[in-house]
Amino acid sequence: MPSTQTPPIAGAAIDPPSLRPPIEDAVIERVEPAQLRSRLEALKAEGFAMLLDVGAVDYLQRKPRFDVVYHLLKLPAQKATVAQVGSPPRMRLLCGVEEGEPLRSVMDLWKSADWAEREIYDLFGIAFEGHDDLRRIQMPHDWVGHPLRKDYPMRGPARERAPRPSFANKSNVVAGTPPSGRTIEALQEEVKRAREQ
Amino acid sequence: MTVYAKPLSPDVVSQSGNTMVLSMGPQHPSTHGVLQIVLEIDSENVVTADPEIGYLHTGIEKTAEGLFWTQAQTVIERMDYLAPSSNALCYALGVEKLLGITERIPPRAQIVRVLLMELTRLASHCVWLGTHGIDLGAISIFFYCFDLRENILDLQEASGGARMHPNYVRVGGLNGDLPEGYLARLDALIEKIPGRLRELRGLLQANPIFQDRTIDVGYLSPEQAIQYGVTGPSLRGSGVAYDVRKAYPYTGYDTYDFEIPTREEGDAYARFLVRLDEMDQSVRIIEQARKRLDTPGPVMIDDTKVALPPKETIALSMEALIHHFKLISEGFRVPPGDVYQAVESPRGELGYYIVSNGENRPYRIRTRPPSMYNLQALKGIAPGNLIADLVVMIGSLDPVFGEVDR
Repeated sequence: MPSTQTPPIAGAAIDPPSLRPPIEDAVIERVEPAQLRSRLEALKAEGFAMLLDVGAVDYLQRKPRFDVVYHLLKLPAQKATVAQVGSPPRMRLLCGVEEGEPLRSVMDLWKSADWAEREIYDLFGIAFEGHDDLRRIQMPHDWVGHPLRKDYPMRGPARERAPRPSFANKSNVVAGTPPSGRTIEALQEEVKRAREQ
Repeated sequence: MTVYAKPLSPDVVSQSGNTMVLSMGPQHPSTHGVLQIVLEIDSENVVTADPEIGYLHTGIEKTAEGLFWTQAQTVIERMDYLAPSSNALCYALGVEKLLGITERIPPRAQIVRVLLMELTRLASHCVWLGTHGIDLGAISIFFYCFDLRENILDLQEASGGARMHPNYVRVGGLNGDLPEGYLARLDALIEKIPGRLRELRGLLQANPIFQDRTIDVGYLSPEQAIQYGVTGPSLRGSGVAYDVRKAYPYTGYDTYDFEIPTREEGDAYARFLVRLDEMDQSVRIIEQARKRLDTPGPVMIDDTKVALPPKETIALSMEALIHHFKLISEGFRVPPGDVYQAVESPRGELGYYIVSNGENRPYRIRTRPPSMYNLQALKGIAPGNLIADLVVMIGSLDPVFGEVDR
């Protein structure tokens, strides 16, 4: 597929999260798709009441190809003062998914997952089983392809230009009757008759 | 992929059993952008509301993958177009963490960043308050709000060179020092703002019509808010005092003295009061930042691998010229890794999950858009309310569609 996206340099990392420098932004955990649902359920029971975000990354050359990333925040699910909130722990759950492999939806655990999962389905083509309403969210409903995948061209797929019908130039006219129902011959005949009168 | 007509969730059962489906937007003036809401209504009552987004999807995340780390910031600023500096700062902080230069950002740059963040918060809340007022029929407040916003944008233009998207915050510090005469103009503005905020308060806070339209409308319980991932003033209006500035201080917010205003009522009026109080707190922070700005100092990191060398050295030093050429023609490289960085934007927790594979372009930038999650809560709070109150609810959640759709 032709792409204007720069091809990866030979030295580029294939699995960047495994090489991350020691930055303390969250507790990071990697889970298998089969354990994802039970792990998230356990985390919710532990007090991670807010699912901040679900995102995805396409590591084209890696196996498994995609990472679905869950950002969780341990907020009390009730009224709380600044002191009670404090500096709530953050948790990041990474789940590697192969192309075509569906994940279990967590929409019933956190309502915030609804649009986030729809967006991943729309832009990456990762399906979520158990989602009530899995349809495209950002792209038009009849769009083909998943734009945030790395093999999707940066400027969109090249589209065939529809030929512009022109009756002035005979060679441009495709064989068959035009929408008006008047063929070029009929038109020329009409013009000829008009001139003769 | 199947394309099918809008399904409506049968959560809320209509009382008469006689409902109709009505599409509100995407050209409706009080949807603050291009939002379509597919409503199922029973006479005037909303049974279900399903916001349909994506009309402003411009593929910013995809575009950023094709740009250098510095260039990507120009498109990122266009996500939340009412608070461009919040986006820029969040992105810059994330990249700085990956580069490992967080500790080396000059103090003056950090002070100016705080100043910018609070000025943008004021400017953004001005737009929210003005348009929220117009939605409810209070026209005059709009002009007062936009007058104040113009003053702030003038300052923004003076420092960054552009009114809307200054691109002033850069990875490593700032684009340049504050221009001459900026501080005098800032002083004049600081003098003006408190009086102006009192006027804004006076126009709406005790207005019986405004209170009638907002009190007990769009009730969002704290449990519901957290379920939907609501953050920012909308969450604090429900009594949860979560603010990224206090919870995980960045750019030295822990050295400033300010409070996190909260309300317990959880209705549109509470969210209105929280934002007004927040504007007062922003002024407090701006005053403190102003006092620290008297001492001059560098505003960009002293590292020519990331920052452009000073212009005057380019003609004299071969090395400076090479660094300049390399930075302009191929940008800098960021070590491989991933990072999540959050800041408190005027709308809530704005987060960037940034992945670098060691190249001179970001591999992936995933935004955690606060507006998107806040707007999603509309599904939970709209049912049972009147259609006319839907406008109040959208206004009180303060979505920005550049950010919802990206």
